[in-house]
Amino acid sequence: MEAFVEVKHLLKKHKNATRPAVNDISFLIDKGSVFGLLGPNGAGKTTFISMLCGLFCPTDGSIIINGKTHHTHNKECKQIIGVVPQEIALYPKLTVWENLMFIGRMYGIKSADLKKRIADNLEILGLNEAAHQKIISYSGGMKRRVNLIAGLLHNPQLLILDEPTVGVDVQSKQAIIDRLKKLNLDFGMTILYTSHHLDEAEDFCSHIAIIDEGKLITQGKTEQLISDNHCKSIEEVYLKITGNKFRDK
Amino acid sequence: MKLFYSIIKEYKVLTRDRAGLAITFLMPTVLILIITLIQDTTFRSVSEASVPLLIIDRDNDSVGKYLEKSLTSSKFFAITKKSMTNEQAKNEVAHGSYLIGIVIPEKTSENLRTKSTQRISKLLNSFTNDSVNVIETIDTNKLELLLYFDPITKLSFKTTIGNSISSIISQIELQSMALSLKEKMQETFPYATPQKLETTALVSTKEEYASYNNSTIIPNSVQHNVPAWTLFAMFFICIPLAGNIIKEREDGSAFRLLTMPGSYLVVILGKMLTYITVSLIQFGLMLCVGLYVLPLLGLPQLNVGNNILLLFLVAFSAGLAATGFGLLVGTVSTSHDQASLFGAVFVIILAAIGGIWVPTFVMPEVMKQISIISPLNWGLDAFYGIFLRNFGFKEIYPNLIRLWLFFLATLTASYYYQKFVRMR
Repeated sequence: MEAFVEVKHLLKKHKNATRPAVNDISFLIDKGSVFGLLGPNGAGKTTFISMLCGLFCPTDGSIIINGKTHHTHNKECKQIIGVVPQEIALYPKLTVWENLMFIGRMYGIKSADLKKRIADNLEILGLNEAAHQKIISYSGGMKRRVNLIAGLLHNPQLLILDEPTVGVDVQSKQAIIDRLKKLNLDFGMTILYTSHHLDEAEDFCSHIAIIDEGKLITQGKTEQLISDNHCKSIEEVYLKITGNKFRDK
Repeated sequence: MKLFYSIIKEYKVLTRDRAGLAITFLMPTVLILIITLIQDTTFRSVSEASVPLLIIDRDNDSVGKYLEKSLTSSKFFAITKKSMTNEQAKNEVAHGSYLIGIVIPEKTSENLRTKSTQRISKLLNSFTNDSVNVIETIDTNKLELLLYFDPITKLSFKTTIGNSISSIISQIELQSMALSLKEKMQETFPYATPQKLETTALVSTKEEYASYNNSTIIPNSVQHNVPAWTLFAMFFICIPLAGNIIKEREDGSAFRLLTMPGSYLVVILGKMLTYITVSLIQFGLMLCVGLYVLPLLGLPQLNVGNNILLLFLVAFSAGLAATGFGLLVGTVSTSHDQASLFGAVFVIILAAIGGIWVPTFVMPEVMKQISIISPLNWGLDAFYGIFLRNFGFKEIYPNLIRLWLFFLATLTASYYYQKFVRMR
């Protein structure tokens, strides 16, 4: 399978930090795969995502996205990436429609096309009736679904999801996962997914990498990881590899 | 187009934030109304009748009447006449009811006339070496008016008032002497019909403010407070602007915007243009308050000078500086509380040293020197130039350049600080 993202000896050391946040990690994310990046708090997931999105420059190593790097093709790289942050990154006093129109326009999508995309996505995720309500009046699950739509409007080739289902009800979680599976299957969208819901990751991800304290501990196909470690689930693999130690800073 | 949509978004976010709107528009209006009313008396004291003065006139003759008439015509005093003892008059002044008390003793006018007559007689007799007929019956050294000053009176003010009263008394003496001379000459030339001696001043002084382009506008509380508090409110915009930036950072919107191609700079630019527009609306609104609302409260109407375009150029420049400052506060602060506290305290300090609370022309010399570091002072100075001195662009451009440089400095600092934090 063709690699869509190549991570090569990636290193990020913050100023005055005792250890690197990301310490010499290398892996490939295949085109059209759902890649789960798992790890305890402080493992380096957010730092990695920030570098993948072009927010930080690596201290060393590189990330090649579809043959290009942020260093040389920042605009092109950003245009093919869609991000769904862990926070509800929306304006609470604007309506859902206003939020999505603004985000779509920032991606340079033409008005008529944008309206259609918003309407279609709202319909699929069951939000069309509340489209003109302010975000502030939405439930947690509804906000999460809008957050997902905001990352999808420009039809990205690589979708980065940072705990997209945290704190939502079962129905909203199912709707989000179903939508993501459909995007992956029907449109071949490459997905990078982080979560602490390991059962969800096991069900959703074709490939998984586990990082801890900035280092890549293991990676591979989901079933392969489970069988290689003689475990019954990814959660067992995860605990076996990362241990029970708390990661309190 | 991205910039346009960014401005539309900011406009919607801003107009739906009622607390932010209240800070932006209501606060300067209230401040202008309250502070202008409070300071009006202080500003009037240098130009209009407001110094409370007590006269105890036991003379009830020409000296008392002339003194009262002269003091009234100076339009400098609010005169009250009462009958009371010296001790009571002293107490009234000591308790602050009056700034000055004047006691005119009994028979002051009569004694003055007698002494004047004696002096004239002495002078005329000296021409004939006849000094026998002049008998000094009154010790004129005891002829004195008593002045009481409130202890809070500044020395310079006390001296000025004392000199004014002395000048009036000198005129009374001169008139008395002239009258005595006329009477004595009448005795020598009983059939003559002399004209009345003119005692009006032969040399007068003409005073006017050394204003530019023949402007004769006198500074008052309105001319000071309207631009001053408008500038204060413009710079206070840093709090909602910084809050807006921090909120975007905290809720992940900034993260999302940073991941979009070239969008974050557009969004920041959109914010700045929106807030500059808000500051111009603030300015227009405050001008309307000065023109139409303050006169309803008995205050003078704001005189906006002759160059409205230039006024708005100053307002635009001040708005630039204020939004640049807001951007810096929003970039440097790590929380909304920190930005509110830091922004508010810093703006208040800049306002205090910039002459917003107390005009720089009444500040001590050292504070006058310090005031020139405040961007609010640059804006206020430019407004003063247009309002009071009819200045044009070539006279106020140094202050405009300072405001633009301040904007560029804050913008650069924000950019590099953000870059520094991201690179850490």
